[in-house]
Amino acid sequence: MDREDEFVRVIKKNEGVIFKITTIYTDNREDQQDLYQDIVYQLWKSFDSFRGEAKFSTWMYRIALNTALTHIKRNKRKGHSVAIDRVVLRQTELYDTVFEERVKILYGYIHQLNVLEKGLMLLLLEGKSYTEISDITGLTPSNVGTRISRIKTKLKSKIIKK
Amino acid sequence: MEMEELQATWTQMSEELDKQKRLTDKIILEMTQQKYKNKFHGITFYETIGAIICFAIALYLIFNFHRLDTWYLMLCGSITLVFILILPILTLRFLKKIKDVDISESNYKETLFQYTKAKNRLLFIQQFAFYASFAVMFTTLPVASKLLSNKDFFLMEKGLGLYAFIGVVLVFLFFFARWGYGCYKGVTSSAEDILRELE
Repeated sequence: MDREDEFVRVIKKNEGVIFKITTIYTDNREDQQDLYQDIVYQLWKSFDSFRGEAKFSTWMYRIALNTALTHIKRNKRKGHSVAIDRVVLRQTELYDTVFEERVKILYGYIHQLNVLEKGLMLLLLEGKSYTEISDITGLTPSNVGTRISRIKTKLKSKIIKK
Repeated sequence: MEMEELQATWTQMSEELDKQKRLTDKIILEMTQQKYKNKFHGITFYETIGAIICFAIALYLIFNFHRLDTWYLMLCGSITLVFILILPILTLRFLKKIKDVDISESNYKETLFQYTKAKNRLLFIQQFAFYASFAVMFTTLPVASKLLSNKDFFLMEKGLGLYAFIGVVLVFLFFFARWGYGCYKGVTSSAEDILRELE
């Protein structure tokens, strides 16, 4: 399998993760597609430098989150954009409007967090351990713990207010 | 929704997403093509054009500096020269710093720190430029008047048209600067909070 095939395989495997990252860091569909493309592009650019010393998911989260941080909203630039309309969560035969509503509320809470908190919250929800979050973010595990605890308190107060 | 419910919703959503594979090989490879422009190309392009214009004016000013025959015209010329030489260089330099943030090697914290710092600097210099442009307008006018029509702005008779022109430019600059300051405040306040949190 050559590098291109290998890359396509890992992107397909992780497309859901990229989708979630783009959803929490953007507020409209056009910008989301733009960020999605940017992340895939950055992953491709760095793919050769990935030597397998770090865990693949750590490497991928790191690049995807870093790209999201440095992403400029679409209206501030004009670049080539590949149509990826179908990358959004689609309505299926088993479409559940109650679940859809819960997903919206969940994203609503995350959108209220600041940029650093969004990243930490995403990694926490993805089931990453404090050590893994520490590897991705560069914060110490204890710092990660403190910040996550603060995020939880912040979210709780927002949930109670609602 | 409780924290546990948030987690459960997230997990369920992740499972749904995993079922809905939508990317094709073709779409993925299209996204990796080099034709995809660097996201800072647009800004850098306009800033470079602006810098070239500034440098051309600066060259013209340098070659004609001897025509500024009084101390106050020389002072105005020098201030204008410093402004149009240094500001574009600083802007391009700070833009380069943003572009140089290595997202493949740095971790999230480092990237956040480097990017926010570079962005803050760039926005600060833009804000400074807005306000400095008020002062520079008053140094540019005498220089332009001397070099383009060989008249000493401070000694010549000033008609109503000139005052009207200055007034219009000042009003425009005021609103432009206020708008720029608003944008600056909006973007940098949250950025500064993050930096403070990291330092």
